[in-house]
Formats: sequence, structure tokens, C-alpha cells
Amino acid sequence: MVKKILFWLATFLVVFVVLWPLVWIYLTAFKAPADIFSPNLKNQFLFSVTLENFARLFSAQYGYLQSLLNTIIVSVVSTAFVLIVSLPAAYSFARWNTGGGHLLFTTISTRMFPGVVAAIPFFLMFRNLRLLDTHFGLILLYIYFNMSFATFLLYGYFREAPVELEHAALLDGYGRLDVFRKVVIPLILPGLAITAIFCLVWSWNEFLFAFLFTREAAKTMTVLISSFWGSIEVQYGPMAAGAAIGALPTLIAAWFMQRYIIRGLTFGAVKG
Amino acid sequence: MSNRAAKSALYSASPTGEEDVVGGRKATIGEILTSEKYFKWTLLIPLLLFLIAFMLYPLFFSVYQSFHIGGVVGNATFVGLQNYVELLHDPDFWVSLRRTAQAVVVCLAAELLIGMGIALLWNRDFKGQNVFRGLTLLPLLVAPLILSLVWNFLLEYNIGLVNQVLSAIGLGRVKWWAPNIALLTICGITVWQWFPFSTFVLLAGLRGMPKDVFEAARVDGASAWYTFRRLTLPMLSPLIIIIVLLRTMWLIRLFDPLYGTTRGGVNTELLDWMLYRTSFVYFDIGYGSALAIISLYFTIILCAIMFRLLIKALEATK
Repeated sequence: MVKKILFWLATFLVVFVVLWPLVWIYLTAFKAPADIFSPNLKNQFLFSVTLENFARLFSAQYGYLQSLLNTIIVSVVSTAFVLIVSLPAAYSFARWNTGGGHLLFTTISTRMFPGVVAAIPFFLMFRNLRLLDTHFGLILLYIYFNMSFATFLLYGYFREAPVELEHAALLDGYGRLDVFRKVVIPLILPGLAITAIFCLVWSWNEFLFAFLFTREAAKTMTVLISSFWGSIEVQYGPMAAGAAIGALPTLIAAWFMQRYIIRGLTFGAVKG
Repeated sequence: MSNRAAKSALYSASPTGEEDVVGGRKATIGEILTSEKYFKWTLLIPLLLFLIAFMLYPLFFSVYQSFHIGGVVGNATFVGLQNYVELLHDPDFWVSLRRTAQAVVVCLAAELLIGMGIALLWNRDFKGQNVFRGLTLLPLLVAPLILSLVWNFLLEYNIGLVNQVLSAIGLGRVKWWAPNIALLTICGITVWQWFPFSTFVLLAGLRGMPKDVFEAARVDGASAWYTFRRLTLPMLSPLIIIIVLLRTMWLIRLFDPLYGTTRGGVNTELLDWMLYRTSFVYFDIGYGSALAIISLYFTIILCAIMFRLLIKALEATK
């Protein structure tokens, strides 16, 4: 009995520690500045709900809506392109072990390649090509950023797909391209969806490239939120409201993909 | 590419290997690309193009720049190894390298210990386990930048919730961003976000273990600690190495939580922040590139060592 009580105490403690900061985002988002900056603990919990922060956030002065749109455009387009690049490559690696493992390793090592390292040459190149502060430039960077991850994850799903069906289709007179399109891809559709969601989440959350390569026109959500924690003024209200909206899609994704998160984060190494 | 072309490509694959000729005429490009011999390479074309443009080019460019100074405006001047020599004599570099190593070790140790503890705690069937699991996984996919800003707010000296609660229960406020503990605070934020990762990787391992071995150990009267050390831990070792490998790769590149909190101040400048400061604040591209190459070198060595360990661990458990 004591053991059982201790177990539940520990379990609730873990969940409380994990969830509280997230809950705090949403509580703060609905507080007036007077309550946010109150040194009185009571006011932190007993506050009157206000939408003031959201109103300020979406005002022309801050332009949150535009940054959200930028994030959506860049995430969706880059994910589509990542799949176009990674899907055939992963199939090739999985079915023929093309390049004897070396190419696959090279692909994965782009993940070790520090983003900041790549940032210097890209910055100079983008400056010459006038790609700084454009959606297209950021999309290119995110394709690079997610390509290796997607290839590796899809590789795992292709490996699990039964090869017998492909042989049967080949014997029925299907060409290689049709086998790939009409037999193999439908087989790994769930894996494809999971990979796509992961790519969307990574692009959605990305900060470093967005911060270095955008100024105004293509500024993304994370960059905008980071500017509320400025050197002159700290605006916790709009920051919390922005974080509340910015974190929501990823929280939803985490909840509905809970069975696949570990597999995704370990590049398919742990089935979870 | 038409379906007909794709289909005829299969028929064109003759056992003699003369794929390039179809029925006496020269094969079209589409037919060659989808032929048995070349299809696997056709599939790789987009990836290879991207690898060349986005990996080889920056790599060569960085190596080239690291032997030069200037180049942001005007031409770069060749200076040989000067950037590297300066870097190795730069105390800032060694300090940020040591800090990065500290951060990696502290975060990894904490994540593994907490992760293992909770994995052992939850390695049983209990009511609502899926709900608890789902809730614990929630922070993993949220942007690290957003979370670091939120923690920055929670840990604020006067109005931050943590200090308000600490002072209300009589423990007194803590200066979380004082120079001597700011790095630990950042590590704490990272551990908070990432310990569920260790927990559920290890839990997957624990759930997949054969029951009979543990039954036998129990019958033989082995203590819980002995069973854990001699049975559980060796069987989990490949998973532990996977965690160490992946987390090291990410932790070396810690950047977002710095931007959300200290911005490289109060003794928290890590390698990537120094890279950012050198290249994008001072625009010292040559020096930054030398730093980048050395940083990359360390990462690759570390990962190569761990890949070898992983393969060893996998073989040992087979």
C-alpha cells in the first residue's frame, strides 16, 4: 500500500514538473501586465482573464500574423520538397543498398555538420543571389536541414515493407517506376505521414537559420517571439501569447504521435 | 515520364546486360533512367544534387575561407594557417570548448539518470499509463527557443514564479542567472525538455526484455540491485549508447536556449555561440571558418568513436 502511494506520488510529481511550465504559458497569455509583473504570488493565480496580449500580438506593430504565415509557407513547401528528395533516395538505399552504406552515412552526417558552419558560406552565397530574407532561401535551407533526417526515417519504413509484393508486381509487367509509385509508396503511407509531420515540426521550430537569414519580409514565428525578450524592454505578455499559439501545433502533434515520437527522434533506431 | 516508357524498361532488361538498346533502336533517356541497371541511381539524383550543393560546397568554402582573412567585402587575403594558430592561442576558444564539454556531460548524465529512474518506475502496467506517457512526451516537440523564453520568465528574480514560490515557502530567492550557475540553469532547462526522451527509449528496452531470465534470477534469490547491474544494464547498453550518441550530437550544437536566456553572457558562451559571434556579429569570416572546421572535426571524431561503441554493444547483445 505504501509502495502504491509512493508510486503515484512520484508519477504525479513527474507529470507536474513536465506540464507546469507549459500550463504557465497559457495562464500568462491571458493575464494583464499588472498581474504578470506583480510580485504578489496571489495575483499570479487569481487574475482577471484578458485578451489584451493577443490583441497586441496581432496588431500591425508586431505583425504576428505575417510571421505565422511565413512559418506556415516555409514549413509546408520545404516539407513537400524534402519528401520529393528523400522518398526515392530512401527507397534506393533500402532496396539496393546503393553506395554500399557510405552514401547513406554521408547523408546522415549532414546532421552532424553544424548549422552555424554551413551558415557562413550560405550567407555569402545568398547575399550574392539576393536570397536573404526570402521564403525561397529559407525553404532551401530547411530542405538541407530535414533531408537527412527524412531519408533515414523513411529508409527504416522501406526496409519493413515486404519485398515479395514488388516482385509480384514486376512479374505482372509493371515497370520499376510504377512499382515504386503504385505498390511501394502506398505500403509505407503511414511512415510517410509520420516523416512529413516530423519535418513540419522541425521547420516550424527552427530558429538559427531563420534568425540569421531573415530580417523583415520572411521573418518567422520563432524569430518574432525571440524579439520580445529584447535588451530594451521585456514584453512577457505578448511573448506568452505568441508562445501559446506557436507551441500549440507542436503540442497537438506530440499528443497524437506519441507512439511514434521515440522512433522519429532516434532516426528509426528504436521502435518505441 | 509515361507509363509505357516505364513498362518497356522492364522488358528491355535483357540478361546480356544490353539495356541501352530496345528492339534495335537506341533507348530513350526515360528508358535508361528507369532500367534495372540505373533505376537505383535515378532515385538518388535529387539527393545527390542537394548533397553536393549543401554539404560539399559549404565544406570546401569553409576550408578555403579558414586560410584567408577578409572576404565579406572585397577580396580575401591568403594567410596560411594564421587563423588556426590564433585560434589555438585564444583563451575564449578553450573556455567555450570546456564549457561545451561540461554542458554535454552534465546534461547527458542528468538525462540518463532521471530517464532511467522514471523508466524503472513506469516499467509496469498501471491505470492511465498511456495518458501519463502522452503528457510526459509533450515538451519534446515544442520549439527549444520558446521553452527557453518561458523558463527565462519562470526563473526571473523578482516576478518569476519559481522565485516567488521559493520566497513564499521561506527558502529565499535564487539568482538563477548569476555567472557561476547560469550555465547549469541552461542545462537544467535542456534536461527538463529532454529527459522524457531517455525515459521512453529505455522504457522501450525494458518492455522488450525476455521475462524468463528475470524470473530465473528471482528464483535464484538475486537481489534487485544485482539483477539490475548484471542483467538489465547490459541488455540496455545499446539503447544507452544510442541516447548518448544522438544527444551528444544535439548538445554540442546547443544554441536556441542561449538565445532565449543569457545570449552568451554571464559565462555561458558555448562553441556555437562563439561561432555565431565571430562570424555574424564581428563578421570575421576567416576566423569563424577555422573555428567551424575545428568544431566539425571534434564532432566527427566523437561520433565515430560512439558509432564503434554502438556496433560493439549491438554485437555483444546478439
